[in-house]
Amino acid sequence: MSGGVLMHILRRASRSLWENLYLNAVATGVIAAALLLVGVTLTVQQNLSALVDSWDRDVHISAYFHHDVPEARRFDKRDQVAQDPRVVGVRYISEADAQDWLLERTARLEGVLEELGPAALPASLEITLAAEAGTPGEVARFATDLEDPDLEFIDFGQEWVEHFNAFLSLLELLAAVLGSLIFLAAVFLVINTVNLVVFNRRDELEVQKLVGATNATITAPFLLEGLAQGLVGGGLALVGLWTVHRLVVVRLQIALGLHMAGDLAALSALSLLGLVMAGAVLGLLAAWLAVARFLSRAP
Amino acid sequence: MIRLYHVTKRYGEVDALHDVSVHVEKGAFVYVTGPSGAGKSTMLKMLYGAVRPTEGKLLVGGVDVSAIPRRNMYKLRRNIGVVFQDFKLIARRNVAENVGLALEVLGTPREEIRRRVNAVLGVVGLKGRGHEYPPTLSGGEQQRVAVARAIINDPSILLADEPTGNLDGAMAIEVMEILQAINLRGTTVMVATHDAALMQRFPYRVLRFRGGRLVRA
Repeated sequence: MSGGVLMHILRRASRSLWENLYLNAVATGVIAAALLLVGVTLTVQQNLSALVDSWDRDVHISAYFHHDVPEARRFDKRDQVAQDPRVVGVRYISEADAQDWLLERTARLEGVLEELGPAALPASLEITLAAEAGTPGEVARFATDLEDPDLEFIDFGQEWVEHFNAFLSLLELLAAVLGSLIFLAAVFLVINTVNLVVFNRRDELEVQKLVGATNATITAPFLLEGLAQGLVGGGLALVGLWTVHRLVVVRLQIALGLHMAGDLAALSALSLLGLVMAGAVLGLLAAWLAVARFLSRAP
Repeated sequence: MIRLYHVTKRYGEVDALHDVSVHVEKGAFVYVTGPSGAGKSTMLKMLYGAVRPTEGKLLVGGVDVSAIPRRNMYKLRRNIGVVFQDFKLIARRNVAENVGLALEVLGTPREEIRRRVNAVLGVVGLKGRGHEYPPTLSGGEQQRVAVARAIINDPSILLADEPTGNLDGAMAIEVMEILQAINLRGTTVMVATHDAALMQRFPYRVLRFRGGRLVRA
């Protein structure tokens, strides 16, 4: 492609952007809105995953000893558990420690506990698992491995963890489906908007074909327009995401005192860059499809 | 320059052209005539590659047009100028931009485009009118702009589909005189028309069609 043709393409693209300002603004707005929705969906998904990760990391297992197990065997068991690579922390809690802990929180039970005697609460090991061992399957497997005649009961909240993970998987699936639908709807809307631009200029495009323009010469200005719409749309979506995060999410978090997983995070720089690139791809794809459709029908 | 061998163009059950064989010499001026629906426009559309023959062979400048892939049709069209009854001018582009479009898509430098646009506007009697817009021009002037656009890259063939169909008598004569002048410079000119008076005033070879068949060559 010669320099002259390149100049022609650039001139056509810039001129068309200006001449079809309204339609181009609509296409850009549609891209921005779609990417904003996708961005919000991704942000929600990312924060949910972070929440799950943080809860996974905090998976604790309590293993309660029989009363008649000597303290030396309890310590042996503690040391044995600590050797397991899946374990990041293990703490021995004696009957007395357990009683103190309970009394700290419910002083009114003092009389009851005195009547029950020092063996009212069993000694236990409080085990913290590594994040990678925090999935329901891994926790259950660890609990099975832990089983021992000295241990009376192992509590790892199996049912709750399974239900919660199933719920989060469903949420992630919904977010993925919703994000895909939004993206497809955006492609459809942008293609139709670019179709309007092409329709608006069909007389000019027909004449270009008749005087010997190549398909590439006709298509390229539209691709540049689509690229510009996508990049500007992506940029606007980032501004929208920042606005939503600063003005809505953070204020809501403060107002509701939501600090379950730390501050609700915005998308990473890489994800934001990906969002802008998705805008560029969306703009290019829509422009290419619209012009290809015209060219397939042109004489 | 143009050769058709047993060319048929069929739309469904209807033959728009039927078994047409004809030869047009280089530098000739030829009328394609006949009543509405005779096949005049189909014949011209085939020559610039907008329509492909269903049967037969069509050579333009020695090249088999029906064998050119759609994506390469631009090569043929750069050697053929086309003028339409409805002018096909772009209303939002001025006269100079309309005329220069054929050079612009080739990547011709702007200064060269400007020079050649001025020259060709002189040929069609519109010198100094390049800054005006098509809607402000008369029908005859618009058709002269269309002719200027068609000849700016010196095509070897000029096809005109009812170029005087929307013009009154005086304007039609003006346009025909321009086409005649272009033909005298060596360009093969083929004009589709059903204006008998015009053909009498500018007598050239006539290809007469009726119902898609060539009845006089």
